[in-house]
Formats: sequence, structure tokens, C-alpha cells
Amino acid sequence: MDQDRGLKALESLVLGRGLCTMCGACARMCPYLETFNGRIVKLHECDLQEGRCFAHCPRTALDLAALNRNRFGSEEVPLELGFQKRVLMGRGLDPGLRGKAQTGGTVSSLVALALEEGLVDAAVLTQRGKDLLPAGRIVSRREEVLECAGSSYVASPSLAALNKGPWQGHERIALVGVPCQIWALEKMRSCELNQDAPARKVVLSIGLFCTWALSYTPFVSFLRRKFPSEVVEAMDITPPPERILRIRTSSGSREVPVEEIRPFVQPACTVCADMTSELADLSVGTVEGEPGWNTLIIRTSAGESILDRALARGILEVKDLPAPNAQHLAQASMLKKRRALEAIKQMEDGKGGYLLADSRWLERVRLGTEGGEQ
Amino acid sequence: MSLIKTDAPGQRLLLMGNEAIARGALEAGVQVCAAYPGNPSSEIIGTLSQVAEELGIYVEWSVNEKVALEVAAAASLAGLRGLAAMKQNGLNVASDFLLNLNLSGSKGGLVVVVCDDPSALSSSNEEDSRAFARLADLPLLEPSGFQEAKEMTKWAFELSEELGLPCLIRSVTRVSHARGNVQLGELPKAERRARFDTSKPILPVPVIWTHRLLHEKLEKCRKRFEASEFNLYRGPQRAELLILTSGAGWMYALEAISNLGLEARVGIAKLGTTWPLPEGFLKEQLSRSTKVLFVEEVDPFLETNVKGFAAQVQEELGPKLFLGKSTGTLPDIGELTPDHLIRVLKELLEVSYEPRPATYIQEAAQAASQAAPPRTLGFCAGCPHRATYWAVKKALALDGRDGFVLGDIGCYSLGMGPAGFFQMKTLHAMGSGAGLANGFGQLGRFGLEQPVLAVCGDSTFYHAAIPALVNARYNGADFLMLILDNSATAMTGFQPHPGTGRTAMGEVANPIDIEALCRALGVRVQSADPFQLDRTVELLLDLLQDGKGVRVLVLRQECALVRGKREGRAFKVLVDQERCLGLKCGCNRLCTRVFRCPGLVWDGASGKARVDEAICTGCGVCASICPASAILKEAI
Repeated sequence: MDQDRGLKALESLVLGRGLCTMCGACARMCPYLETFNGRIVKLHECDLQEGRCFAHCPRTALDLAALNRNRFGSEEVPLELGFQKRVLMGRGLDPGLRGKAQTGGTVSSLVALALEEGLVDAAVLTQRGKDLLPAGRIVSRREEVLECAGSSYVASPSLAALNKGPWQGHERIALVGVPCQIWALEKMRSCELNQDAPARKVVLSIGLFCTWALSYTPFVSFLRRKFPSEVVEAMDITPPPERILRIRTSSGSREVPVEEIRPFVQPACTVCADMTSELADLSVGTVEGEPGWNTLIIRTSAGESILDRALARGILEVKDLPAPNAQHLAQASMLKKRRALEAIKQMEDGKGGYLLADSRWLERVRLGTEGGEQ
Repeated sequence: MSLIKTDAPGQRLLLMGNEAIARGALEAGVQVCAAYPGNPSSEIIGTLSQVAEELGIYVEWSVNEKVALEVAAAASLAGLRGLAAMKQNGLNVASDFLLNLNLSGSKGGLVVVVCDDPSALSSSNEEDSRAFARLADLPLLEPSGFQEAKEMTKWAFELSEELGLPCLIRSVTRVSHARGNVQLGELPKAERRARFDTSKPILPVPVIWTHRLLHEKLEKCRKRFEASEFNLYRGPQRAELLILTSGAGWMYALEAISNLGLEARVGIAKLGTTWPLPEGFLKEQLSRSTKVLFVEEVDPFLETNVKGFAAQVQEELGPKLFLGKSTGTLPDIGELTPDHLIRVLKELLEVSYEPRPATYIQEAAQAASQAAPPRTLGFCAGCPHRATYWAVKKALALDGRDGFVLGDIGCYSLGMGPAGFFQMKTLHAMGSGAGLANGFGQLGRFGLEQPVLAVCGDSTFYHAAIPALVNARYNGADFLMLILDNSATAMTGFQPHPGTGRTAMGEVANPIDIEALCRALGVRVQSADPFQLDRTVELLLDLLQDGKGVRVLVLRQECALVRGKREGRAFKVLVDQERCLGLKCGCNRLCTRVFRCPGLVWDGASGKARVDEAICTGCGVCASICPASAILKEAI
């Protein structure tokens, strides 16, 4: 491609078209891009022809075949859920963790274990801060992991924390992120522009299942209008068919149908075709119909090794994912891909979208969605 | 030491035009002088302030031009001689008083010197203040040189006293700021005693009566002008072309005629008294030629008035060809130069002459740029305004609602350009940023969602922003007012103002506390040091979010030049050549490409930034913008 690959291009191809996922991969590396109140903010004009901001972005051109080849040794990975070694269901056995975590406490258990065992020195997690604003946080102790448990459903620029550090002395990093962040992580790792990128020190990536994330400002304004003068303490969305946002506030429990918050879904999420973080070492989601259990997709030996360690230490219990659940998971994943394909088609010019840059994969999705699940 | 107090009649001194005006006032026995600084007028009161104590006169830097004129007028009303000086914009401020004072009349000699700035070399407009003489029916004198500037000023006091009217003197940059020989006259020894005659109130009413009286005074003035030695003619008895000129035009005309050798063919009639018109003198001059070229800066003031008069006497004078700005013969904007005239005369009189090419100025500028380091119009090294606008830019970007800054007159006006990162979006009169913000701050009801900011300097705050702030507080205008307190009237030459703690005469005064004043109005007010960028951004964001009503943020940091003169550098600043990653950094030369303090330079040879120690004032702000922490500041 004979065009700029710097901030100007990022602005015209991603930020200016509402395609920013707020993953944070472009921010806090240089003085030009900052994150603030759920937005990526450009502080100054930058005329560099090539920049890490553009290179890291999960919405700029990406060679998925090459990434799959690097990660898994094969370009031909299963379409529905990506490359996988094992698919299981599991839950953490530490009641203290489970009470705080979103579902089964699996992610918190694994990260805490990785830190305790010295597999990693630090982890980049996401924590909901003041006024529900989520942000990346660098943690190195179990208590800190607990403080980051739970989801906010709001897009968090957590990769900015990975970029910014400080990383003195940290050589092995774990990272928990949603699919766009895991994609960005892989781009960061292979980016030629910075051989010292902290992303190259990530030895364990735990990807979360994600159907969409909410834009911070409109969602928080909505909550303020709906529940004035109440402080939100926790949030959870119940699985289908119920799909209700349960909010625990200072005044009690509140319920909001998911349809009411759907308008606040980030536009960038509509073109996302990855529900299960297909490039992670292992991916974790919830199991529908099995409250308190997580789905686990083990994709790499790093993912396998942390799972084995957890089982050996009795931190986690696992069992096979029943076939109907596995089938349902694949269908949900394909549904997201199909919707993404529609959204991409509706985009006027289609320039620079990550999917369009990889026509072969696109074609597979198209055939897959047409041929599958009917 | 100022030369203008030299008590040696007959001695010739090299004086700046503004010094000559000040000397003229001293020779006239002026006792009260007041002004608000503004280029190109500032040196008049500046010079007088240096000799005030010794000569026993009172000199004041007033809070604004209207007050300055009122201060000088009070002296006049008490029988003393008073002088007010200002730049062209200043007369607009003073005009409300002036257009009542013309009717009420004055007593002791009262002279208002207005220095116009053709081409707006240091102004936001290039208005021709002469229009006020006609508007106010007041006598107007225009000096063409340095000796004349002195003599005219002296005479203006006498004329004013004789007529009972304030007298206007209009200077221009090339008269005020150039230097020439001036022969000194006597300095009066006697001083008048001030007394206000309470039996004779000074009132502009009844207007019908005072207006008629004013016209009678002007008629009397016209007669005095007929005999004035400031009006003169040079040239042949009958001329192929008559140049009618005033002010600096006289010098340009002399030079053009001399260069072209047209002394025998072209006559120049110079008017020193340009309003009311000396009609008899004019009629005599107009009869010398059928072709008349008006040479004046900026507006066709003489041109329009003289043509009006000529129409009245056309039967006697016969047909004339009038050339000037209205015929497109000479430019109707900007300063004139001898070149403008040479081109016109060459064509009109069909002489061959090769003036310097029209592109000379550009070529000269280009040649000069080879020798001088490339610099854009910008803030000095270490200027607090750079830090302020850096913080404002960041805060507005983070805020994300497309907020904007309304500005006005001061060094910080450069916030409209690259020096201030293009943050200032409007520029008009003193205090107009705050004034406009009063209006923008009410537009929320019509859908304006952008945060509104106003910016003004400390001197401007006292000059014109306080009424706007009072209005905002009372009427609930929603905006954030930034007062950039650099503890100086920096742009015009560090004149004292009510916040500095010194008067024009050098006496200690109790400074007026901006924060206390704002608090007394019931306004939320905060202060910060703009050199602390993060803290300033944080405060700005907080104040921006705190909607409803006017909020004030005082950003206080002394002007780098003032501080530098007093105590030198705060820090030794240097770029650690190991830590600076140059082009590999990814910062894309933030310090020299975006921040652009002239104290930082990009070293092409090493591909890294470095500090120019000759220019750096050691503020240390750049140390906090370098993403590689390569800029170090060490306490001295």
C-alpha cells in the first residue's frame, strides 16, 4: 500500500470513521495520542509517514494468515473459533475470587497463579475506576488482581498501560484483553518499528469472549439519567434469552434490558468478526445455561501450561464442554462474523478495514456463513 | 538619563519623534501627562515619566486611554496644561469622553497626541484617527518631522488654551519612531497653581448652545490656521502637478521629487493643520496647478475634505484633476513609501527613472533571512504564554467538546499563530475576548455546546476586562476566563500597571489583587503557575467541566524578560545527548517542531535536539514535555 501509515492515516481510516475500538494500542507511546474519558485524543498534529499508532491498530490492515502462521504454525485454522488445542469448561476453586469475579473466577485465578508462580512478573488488567471509567492497570500481586475482577462492559484502553509502563525490571508480562486487544497485541509484537516494545515481553495472553463493548460517555450519561445520584458498584449481563443488565448500586439492585443499552455499543464493534479472542494463548468466556462456569479454549502451549499448573495446584476445576454448548458457541461466533461481514459491506468505501485487507479470509467467512448452520 | 530635560536653549539634539513631542510639551509648560501604553505612542509618556520627579510634573500610566484623557483634562479644567497620549485604537476608547469634552470645552492647554500605525506594524488595525477631529469638531495638527513635532506640540497647547478646546496631534510610526535633529527651546520656570472655578461648571449642555459655540471656536481656529507656519509650499510658482500632503507624506514627496529631479515641475503643498482646513491657504495652492495629487496615510482624509472645499470654489479655481486614493493612483491601505510616489510621478510627468524593483522588499527580506536564524513571529524563549497555550491546547483536546479561546490585545495575541499553537480564535479590541465570551456564554440556550474561554493579560484585565467580568457574573454568562498575569505590560515595554506595585513616577503603590477582586464579584477563581503544565491542565479541565457561570483562572508567571533581567536563569537546561533518541524517538521532534521554544534547536548534524544557551532563559518547561526525559533542568 503506497499511502501514509502514520497518525494522519489513522485519523482518516479509523478514528474519523468511528472504527476505533478504544483498545488503547495507539496511545501513550508518543506525546501525540492520549486516552481520556473513553476517547483517544490527538494532542498535536504528527506528520510521520509511518507510525506505531497505525501499525498497532486492530482496525488497520492486518495479515491474519501471517499472524495465524506465527502463532499456530498454520494459516488454515478452524473458521468458527480459531485455532484450538482443547475446549473445556472450568471454574476457580477459590471462593474469595469467585465472589468477586464475573463468572467462574477463572481469569483472576489464572493471573494470580501466574504471578505467584513467577511465570510472569506483572500483568496488564482492566480496572473500573472513578465514574465507571475503565483503564488498564499494571499489577504484580494477588490482591491487585482481585481489585481488577469483574467487567464493566465499557471499552477500556488498557493497552495504553502496556505501552506506557513503567516496565523497569519486568521481563515477563501477562495480559488479559478482549479480542480487539489481543489482535492489537499480536500486531504490536510483530511491529518492526519498535524492537523494544513492551508487547514483546508478553508471555501469556488471556483473551476474553466479547460480543461488543459500550462507549463510555453515552453509556455513563444514560446511567446518570436513569439512576441519578446512585453509585454503581457492580454490573452483570444475564445470559440469553433473558439478557438483562443487572446493576448493583448504592441503593440496591437495578435492572435494565440489554436492548436499552444497545445504542451505546461502539460502532467499531459492529465490524468485529472475532468473538472468542482467536489469537490468544487461551480464551475465556461464560457457559450459557451453566451459571458460575467458564468456557476455556486452550490455543497454545503457553495456555496449556498455565492451565496444567492451575489444575496441579487445585486452583481450577475443569470438565468437558458438553457438545450442545460447544455447538452453540460455534454458532454464536459465526453469527458475529456474519454480522460483521454485513456491516463491512455497508461501509461506503471499505478502505483500510482489517477484514478487507485479507480477501482470502474474508472469502472463507463469506462461504462459512453461507454454508454453515442453516 | 533622558535628554528631553536638557536645559540648553538652541542646542541641537538627536531625538526620537516621540521624544520631540514630549520635549514640546515640556517647553509648553505641561504639568500633567497621562497615557495608556501602545505602539507607536508609548515613548511619549515613557520619556516624560523619567523626568517627572525632577521637573516637578505629574506623569501617570493610566488604566486605559479614556481615564488618561480624563486625567489630563482635569488638569486643563483646573487651569494647568495637560497632555494625553495614545495609539490610534486608544482614541476609540477615549472618544466617548472626547465627544463630550469638545462641547464643554477646556481651559488650560489640553493636547491629545494620537500615534497612528499605518500598515499596522504593531496593531490590530490601521485606522486613521484623523476622522475623530472632524467628528468632534476639534483642531488637528500633523507633524511631518522631528523639529516640527516639537514646535507643533508646543503651539498646540497655546492654541488649545486660546480656543478653549482640546487640540489633537496625529503622528505616525515614521514620525514617532524615527530620529532627527531637534533644536531645543526654553523650558519654562514658572509653574501654574491648580484651581477649579466652581462658579463655572464645565458642561456639554445645553447642547444646541454648546454645539454652536464649538463651531464658532472651530471657525476661529480656521483663521489661526490660515497664518500657520506649519502650512507651506515648496516648488515653482505654477506647477505641472501639485502634491497636497501632510505628515510623513511630506518626507516621501521631497525624496521622490529629488530623486526624479522634478523640483522645477512639481510643487508640494504641505499642511500641518489638517482640520479645520485653512481654506485661503488651500485656494492659493490649488490655483498653482490643474492637476492635484494627494499624498497621505491611511485614509483619503485631506483628499475628501479638500475636494469638498474645491467644489465650493470651483468657479474661481476652474476644473481640476484630482488624483489620490479614490482614483486608485495611490494605495488606499498601508504605509506609503517614496517608491509609491516615484512610480506615480514617473508616469504622470513622463520621466524615465528606474526605481528599485517592486520586489525589492521581498528580496531584501530574503537576503536578510540568510544571515539571521529562521524564526517565526513568536513568544520569547521562556515566555509563560507558550506554557499557557500548551496547557490550554491539551486541556481542550482532552475535554473534547471543541472549546475555543476568545482573545484580545497583548503579547498573548500571538496565541492566534504557531507560537500559541493556534489556540486563540478571535482578536479585536482590549477586553473583547471577555466581552465576546459574555455573548457566547449565553448561546447554550441556542445549542452552543462548546466550552467558551476568554483570555486577557493582567494589564488588559485592568484596562477593559473588568466590566465584562462584572457583566458575566451578573447575567450568568457561562465561560472560563483566563487571566495571564505576567506582571508586566510586556508588549509595549514593561510599563507599570495596577498590579505591578509601581507607578509611572517610580513610586511604590499597593497592587490590586486580581483574585481578591474576582472573589469580591462572587466568581470562582483559581490560580496556577503555567510552568506547572500538568497541574494547569488538571485545573483547566476541572474548570471547564464546572459549567454554569463565569469562572476565572489566573495563570501567573512573570514575563521571562522581566525575570531574566532581575535574577537571570532559574535553571540550566540541557538536552542529554544520550537520552535524546532523535528521529528514532517517535516523538517526531515534539520540542522543536511543535513546542517551538526558540531556546531549543534541532541539530541537523547529530540528528538530535539541543539547547541554544544564548537564547534559553532557563524556565525549564521543556523538560516536562520531552517523552524521553532527555531535557534536563538543573537548579542554578
